[in-house]
Amino acid sequence: MTSSSASSRKNLSKIACNRLQKELVEWQVNPPTGFNHKVSDNLQRWVIEVTGAPGTLYTNETYQLQVDFPENYPMEAPQVIFLNPAPMHPHIYSNGHICLDILYDSWSPAMTVSSICISILSMLSSSTVKQRPEDNDRYVRNCRNGRSPKETRWWFHDDKV
Amino acid sequence: MGSVEEEEVLGEVEAMEAVYGIDFHLLSSFPLLFHLNLFPRTADDSSQQFVEAIIEIRATPKYPKEPPCVDIVDCKGMDEKRRKHLLHHIQTKAHELCPGFMLVALCEEAVEKLSAMNHPDGDCPLCLLPLVPTNQQSETLPFMKLMSCFHCFHSECIIRWWNYLQKSKETDSAKSENYKKVEEGIGNCPVCRKPFHVKDLEHVLDLVGSHSSQVSLDSDKATDEEELLQSEHEIIRRQKFEVIFNLQKENSGLIEPKKDLVILPGMYLPQPAATPSSTSTQESDEQQEKDIPTVISEKHAGETSNPPSSSRHKNFGARRQRPRSDNHSSSTVRNPRKPVQQQWVRRDNNPNSKQ
Repeated sequence: MTSSSASSRKNLSKIACNRLQKELVEWQVNPPTGFNHKVSDNLQRWVIEVTGAPGTLYTNETYQLQVDFPENYPMEAPQVIFLNPAPMHPHIYSNGHICLDILYDSWSPAMTVSSICISILSMLSSSTVKQRPEDNDRYVRNCRNGRSPKETRWWFHDDKV
Repeated sequence: MGSVEEEEVLGEVEAMEAVYGIDFHLLSSFPLLFHLNLFPRTADDSSQQFVEAIIEIRATPKYPKEPPCVDIVDCKGMDEKRRKHLLHHIQTKAHELCPGFMLVALCEEAVEKLSAMNHPDGDCPLCLLPLVPTNQQSETLPFMKLMSCFHCFHSECIIRWWNYLQKSKETDSAKSENYKKVEEGIGNCPVCRKPFHVKDLEHVLDLVGSHSSQVSLDSDKATDEEELLQSEHEIIRRQKFEVIFNLQKENSGLIEPKKDLVILPGMYLPQPAATPSSTSTQESDEQQEKDIPTVISEKHAGETSNPPSSSRHKNFGARRQRPRSDNHSSSTVRNPRKPVQQQWVRRDNNPNSKQ
């Protein structure tokens, strides 16, 4: 267990709890299209099912996103990864890590789980090929000890996909 | 369009120029196309302005037999829903006024509608609680807007975020864009990323942790209060009060008001031990005479020595309270929709207003 995954086990702050409860209520009233979150009593880890949008390469395929919230959410971004099997996509590594700027450097506390989900679905929908990132094998090898994607120094390939 | 009608339209353009001056931008005379910057009627006090918009009006060749096309080119402080609401209202009005030359009347209608919408709306983007609670029971927290984009936040929420960024910058060797910006004294709006200057936040910086409303929402309120009493900011607050209290005692209950007016829920001054009495000495009478003008001059015009209960309502409403130039580029604001609740007391409480 690395330091980061240990620290993510830290209990949510009161502010984080309040905020997540608000998000949960909003999600139940108005969930983003294509997503299904089975509400559990674990506020700190959400597992969300995503279904590929109609008319895209991922139509009717379902995947699972795991969202882990840090103690000081929403100041700090949640860790978002795809559970195995991750969709084949030029920005999604086979270990489930997602190369998407808003999850790292471009995170803003005004974003929500719901807005992250919409960004991820949009990223899937705009893909034109089902393939792994070019550096997939190297990257996944480097992450073998369970490193969090938040520790990666990402550089973002392009904004088209 | 006949030449008579063309002339009429030219007359309308002249009228528009006369009414709106530099806010009116004529893009084309034939066919008529213009942009108009819309401000709510209260906009001369920028702390009371929460919305603005630029509308585009294009007269079709059949105008005035047919209503002109209206669109909102740009707006601040309005989400998609409110923007649509405003546009729909103007378009409906255009149809109502048709047929006829309507440009000034239509634009005045738009200003009227925008003025009615001139209040912050929705939730704080950071904590997701309403900026202005509809529920009378819940407390209105102080909030502020960024002048570059009119996005509003609870003061405490945005400062907490700002401090977090700065702390991250210290611990983390500036790897992300955000941190670099902090160093340059530039921030980005959490909602739209529009840059703002740190100065925009300075006037609310000391608000963080100054009230417990954020943390006391949970059921285990007792422990929260316990923690709060032990917390650093509470100790600092008590020390500040101690200083004021001592000053009050020295001055026979009179204190100099602080220059910056910050109103906080739950803030109150302890009752002075020695209130000025009828038996006050010659010295303290002089003190009083000396102090009162100061008090008056530092309050806003028209607020002179009113007790806080009556001056509370003064800041909303249509008239300006202070000139634009003396404003910060952003401002702390109170709920413009309903009166502030009883526990709101001016920090710079005028001692004369106390019994």
